[in-house]
Amino acid sequence: MIFYITTIIIMVLIAPILLSFIKMVKMYLLFKRPISILQGYKDVSKLITKETIISKEASDITRIAPFLVLSPLLLVLFFLPPATSGAFYVSFVDAFTITGLITLSTFFLMLLGLDSASSFGGLGSSREAFISALVEPAMILTIFSVSMMANNLGVAQAGVNLAKEFPSNHMASFLFAGISFFILLIAENGRIPVDNPETHLELTMVHEAMILDITGFYLALIESAASIKFVIFASLFASLFMPFGLDLNPWLSILLFVAKLFFVALLVALIEVNTAKLRLFKVPNLLGIAIVFAFLSLITFYVLGA
Amino acid sequence: MLSMLLLPAIFMLLASFKLQSVRKLLPFTSLAILLPIVELFRLPKPYSLWGDYLVANDLNTYILLVSSIVGIGVTLALLTLDKHVDVTPKAIQSFYRFFALFWIGLIFSILANHMGIFWIGLEMATLSTVYMIKTSSYPSADKEAWNYMIVGAIAISLVLFGIILIYASAKPVLGEDAMLFDALLSKAHKINSPFLFEMGFAITSMGFFIKMGFFPMNLWLANIERASFYPIAALFSGILESAVIAGFFRFSQIADIINRSHLLGFVFVYTILTIFIVSFLIFRAKDFMRIFSLSGIEHMALIALFWVSGGTFAALLHFGAHAFLKPALFLSTGVLESQGRYQITGALKGYSGISGKLFYLLVSLFMLGIISLPPSPMFFSELYGFGAMVDMAKDSHHLIAMIGAVTLLLILLSIIFYRFVQLYQSMKYEGKTVEKRVYFSEVLALSLFAISLIVLLSPSSIHFLRSIV
Amino acid sequence: MVEFFIGIFLATLITALFTTRLYRLLLWYSLNSMSLGLLALILGGQFEDRAMIISGIITLIVKAMGIPYFLKYLSERLSLNRQISPNIKIQHSIILIPAILVFTFYLAEPISHMVQGNSNYVAISISSLFLSLLLMMEHTNIAPKIIGFLSMENALFLLGTTATGGMPMLVELGIFFDLLMAIVVVNLLLKNEEEVEGDA
Repeated sequence: MIFYITTIIIMVLIAPILLSFIKMVKMYLLFKRPISILQGYKDVSKLITKETIISKEASDITRIAPFLVLSPLLLVLFFLPPATSGAFYVSFVDAFTITGLITLSTFFLMLLGLDSASSFGGLGSSREAFISALVEPAMILTIFSVSMMANNLGVAQAGVNLAKEFPSNHMASFLFAGISFFILLIAENGRIPVDNPETHLELTMVHEAMILDITGFYLALIESAASIKFVIFASLFASLFMPFGLDLNPWLSILLFVAKLFFVALLVALIEVNTAKLRLFKVPNLLGIAIVFAFLSLITFYVLGA
Repeated sequence: MLSMLLLPAIFMLLASFKLQSVRKLLPFTSLAILLPIVELFRLPKPYSLWGDYLVANDLNTYILLVSSIVGIGVTLALLTLDKHVDVTPKAIQSFYRFFALFWIGLIFSILANHMGIFWIGLEMATLSTVYMIKTSSYPSADKEAWNYMIVGAIAISLVLFGIILIYASAKPVLGEDAMLFDALLSKAHKINSPFLFEMGFAITSMGFFIKMGFFPMNLWLANIERASFYPIAALFSGILESAVIAGFFRFSQIADIINRSHLLGFVFVYTILTIFIVSFLIFRAKDFMRIFSLSGIEHMALIALFWVSGGTFAALLHFGAHAFLKPALFLSTGVLESQGRYQITGALKGYSGISGKLFYLLVSLFMLGIISLPPSPMFFSELYGFGAMVDMAKDSHHLIAMIGAVTLLLILLSIIFYRFVQLYQSMKYEGKTVEKRVYFSEVLALSLFAISLIVLLSPSSIHFLRSIV
Repeated sequence: MVEFFIGIFLATLITALFTTRLYRLLLWYSLNSMSLGLLALILGGQFEDRAMIISGIITLIVKAMGIPYFLKYLSERLSLNRQISPNIKIQHSIILIPAILVFTFYLAEPISHMVQGNSNYVAISISSLFLSLLLMMEHTNIAPKIIGFLSMENALFLLGTTATGGMPMLVELGIFFDLLMAIVVVNLLLKNEEEVEGDA
């Protein structure tokens, strides 16, 4: 139980750091003076002290929604695969529940964007709906196919099983699932080929457009929700597709887990530096590849057993 | 022996670099290929030219002889290529260079006893034709060269695909020898995964059929031959298709042992469908090149049909006749089309002098020979072939179906017959008389083919053909 | 490990189908050939088959480095169109590609039982054959068609390596020879095209 709680606390604490880390690596690679790795905390603390202003047109949803954006994601944190063997985990939660909870959070985010009645909010929400509609099927297929390889539909149990017995006979479908999941990780977190988190240009905004009218404490909630979403995806990627090192000394394997999270963040940063943002109407192409790979992973597993 | 066979082609390859001075010499050097072939006929078969890889037996020596004669004829006719069509000296040079490569590839392919060598030779020939098509100055040549490259590559890849499957099916029994045709033939009944073999055979045959322009790729070859210079069409029908059909002969011999009824069903459906479509296409075609090319497809389909029905003699006779008649006609299109590429009327008018008269006579004979009017070998081969088809079905309860198939084929052939007669009439009796120039070398090439046809009908060669399988 | 490279082989081919830039396509082809070469090396090591190791090394040198580099050089010099958009719409390919894969996997199933050992690879190589055909079909430009032809060669090579436990050395070398000849012919064709355009 102690490792379970510790892992969750570490993930929550590390979440803002990971996003700052990505930014730092990017700035370093672009020969800029890198920001501090604790920038995420600085932003949140600044936002909390600021005054919260709510648009006149906004209804009660604007007051409730930020909490409802954050809370499903916090809930998901409890269902993730464990970082070390012997730790407590919730074994019965499957792909549908996790995807559903993440979508619930996205749903409230979209409501939030619509509620302020600004033109940007509607634009951002419709784009977000467009992207997440394409992400969901691929996401379910991918996690499903990995769960099949691990002989258990529960995501956390699948992670444990994969660590115990690596599916070396199913490397091909495992690889396809990995590719698909990585594309989803990028798309769902609004990283570069799909969305640029750093810009406020109306042509390209997705996530930023929805939260343009949110200020102060609520913005802090939304920002931390975004970072927690990234940590959820990164930890799913780490425990499903890099399932090793769980049998070490518990503290050591938690450390390794954190290292894996940073590795995922590094990969994302490298991709962000090396690619240009896609036009919005090209995004389905990328997600199409993800769907094809997810499906391919399933049929390769079922038909060929490879 | 092998070096003797390759010598004319290699000489041509070297000569292409200094073409102007030695161009007249090339027909004579290519004549030299007959020496080793005659020697091959005398030697006891099977005679090994290069280990197990190249083995000469009766079948492939015959095919090699036929295609060598075509090669000689084409070299003769090539001498006057620049007089009939617009072509730069540089293009002629590269044409000769790739013709030499093409020839080398096909000698390997025809003589191969090894599926791999067979494929390598065929691929080499295919790729070198791409550039030969490209030398043409017609505007569509460029597109068609790419077209040939792509479709030819697909066809040849299908062949390799099938070969790999066949190899995979036979390797547990034969080991590395599973690549050899004679080993496969003698141990075919031992192959323990016939499904795999049949799958491989079907895919290989699909590759061959695409290459020969069978259903559904009927107009593919015709368009390419239309866009390229006329000797290419002669090379296609005389040499390349010989190698392809030789491969089909070999593979179908093995498939025959594995599962005869599947082979028959597959080939019958494919060829009858092909002839069905081709006969109507011929009826609609508007120029010599397409008509001849489509009729070539019809002949190849008949050869394949006769071969699998057990009429091997008929198939080989038909094959020989086709390989001499078709290139001759293709080569003569250079003269026939001197009024324009779609000018059929009056094509057989306006010949004077000895060369002209002789050309006129030979082309008329060839035109009538190709639709199997009696003295033509095609008449006999079709007679024997349909006879063999009925013979095969006599003991089974498929006799009615077979007679129906033969009747259908005869109806379709009569459509082609009608079209050719019409064609001949409009060439002979319609249109204006315009003076046409015929060169000596062309008449020489045509006479070579005519003599070969007569020799083909002589009793001793018929006896030889009967003894092949 | 072998499964992993098989996966990369198929993955790069599928990604190539969605690519709209020539140099990216060359990169995918190069990765495709690289996984093939490494696969041949691994399998050759397993079977202790010298021929397969040699052909694996040649694959790595020629197909993974030589040919993509040469094609890039050629396209730079002849200034080929580097924007290559597929004719088949992306939403159709999303349906089409899985359909092809399912079809070929089931098509290859009876075969897989007969090939001893690496039965899955037969299915994968047949499906990559079909996908390369799709790659050739969905483009009108010449360059992707050539890449499609080359990937078809790769698929056949994969089949030869895995289904039969290695083709005879002679055949593999012959295939390489023909591949080089294909490249020469492609070079000549493209060059000639440029000359003709230069004259006009």
